[in-house]
Amino acid sequence: MLFKLVGQKFHLVFTSSSKSMLKALSGICFLHLTTIFFLFWATIDDAWWFTRSMYTDLWGRWVMEENDDVWVYMDIPTSYRKGEYYLQAVQGFAVLACIFAVLSLCVFIFQLFTLGKGQRFTMSGVMQLLSCFCIMVALSVYTDHFHRKENGWYGWSYIMAWIGWLLALLTGGIYIILRKRVD
Amino acid sequence: MPLQFSHVVPVSCTLLCSTRPSAGRLTEAMLSLLVLTATVLLAAAPQSEAIVIYTGWEKHALVGSDVRLSCSFFSWRWTSEEVTFSWSYRPDGAKDSISIFHYTGGAPYVDNKGPFRDRLEFVGNPARRDGSILIRNLDFNDNGTFTCDVKNPPDIVGRPSSVRLLVFEQVPIQAGVITGAIIGVVLGLLILVVAIYYLMRFLVARRVFSLSMSKHGRKGKGKEGSQQKQASVLVDPSKQKAAASEKKKQESRREKK
Repeated sequence: MLFKLVGQKFHLVFTSSSKSMLKALSGICFLHLTTIFFLFWATIDDAWWFTRSMYTDLWGRWVMEENDDVWVYMDIPTSYRKGEYYLQAVQGFAVLACIFAVLSLCVFIFQLFTLGKGQRFTMSGVMQLLSCFCIMVALSVYTDHFHRKENGWYGWSYIMAWIGWLLALLTGGIYIILRKRVD
Repeated sequence: MPLQFSHVVPVSCTLLCSTRPSAGRLTEAMLSLLVLTATVLLAAAPQSEAIVIYTGWEKHALVGSDVRLSCSFFSWRWTSEEVTFSWSYRPDGAKDSISIFHYTGGAPYVDNKGPFRDRLEFVGNPARRDGSILIRNLDFNDNGTFTCDVKNPPDIVGRPSSVRLLVFEQVPIQAGVITGAIIGVVLGLLILVVAIYYLMRFLVARRVFSLSMSKHGRKGKGKEGSQQKQASVLVDPSKQKAAASEKKKQESRREKK
């Protein structure tokens, strides 16, 4: 019974100008999945700050030992200019951004089937924008508080977090503007 | 004819033994084996006893404060009168440890020459298997590992247990507390907002429903009234939905054009 209903609704969604509708839907889903991918990688991989013999941040620090071949995983030193509180805040907001991105995808799929015709996907848009806001807070705190007078450069996780921010902003805006097609 | 044994035995066997007449013998053998293993285990237990000593793993304390290092033990034997507790200290980075406390023959002997002279106090209760010590006025030089060793004759085989003392200027927040707090608070707020939103919607719908009920109640007369009430209850919500979707359809069509 449930599958019949779901099938019928899917039918309604897709037969109305089905090809363009399908393209738009798959495009948006692909963008959203890319956002989630970037946010997760940025949060998980410890590569926010690089120097010649070390890359670090968010959860731990990889330090190169004397032999030039061995990488050792260490805890981030607690004397980080009272940084352990700020670092935990960055960790918290980065994880929240990932959670909101995934929730937004679930809400989008849910609304795809339950939303009335002609209505906007506001809930998914709002959640995606929340995710964008969270990762922005994390990035701002990190950029402002850490590594201000050190020699080094920002690593790929940091850049991916910024790209994730941009994509989240984009997809959030698309969800708010998008309406369920009627025909 | 008197009842012969041969007549009785088959009857009893069909009731109790059914197809296996040797079941009784099997259970007897199993029981005896069980009793044998139990006695062997019980006899062997006292020989495999060892004293188990418990201390903490790590202790965090502030400079200038007092810290209580607790040491307790478990032994199969009763606590004898010749039980001994001894604490030794190894500073961070050093290889040797020095003895700082010893309890024997019912009397405690505290450090009076080493790094803890006049700062150490025995606050344990040997009768209750507690051999804790109290160190006053901590300093950064007190960072190190404290080892407790207990001997309860004749139960003397055991491994001493160590606790690490860490002295801080300011007790740090453990890793992940702030992270977890931020995540928990934000998600909690989200759930709260969603719950309030749905509650408001539910209350508003109920209010509308009850208003329409009272309206139709006044208009109708007796049975007619109640019938109308029922019909209107069934029709009204769907009417509202249909009206809303019609409106939106028209809106979007206009916008499309």
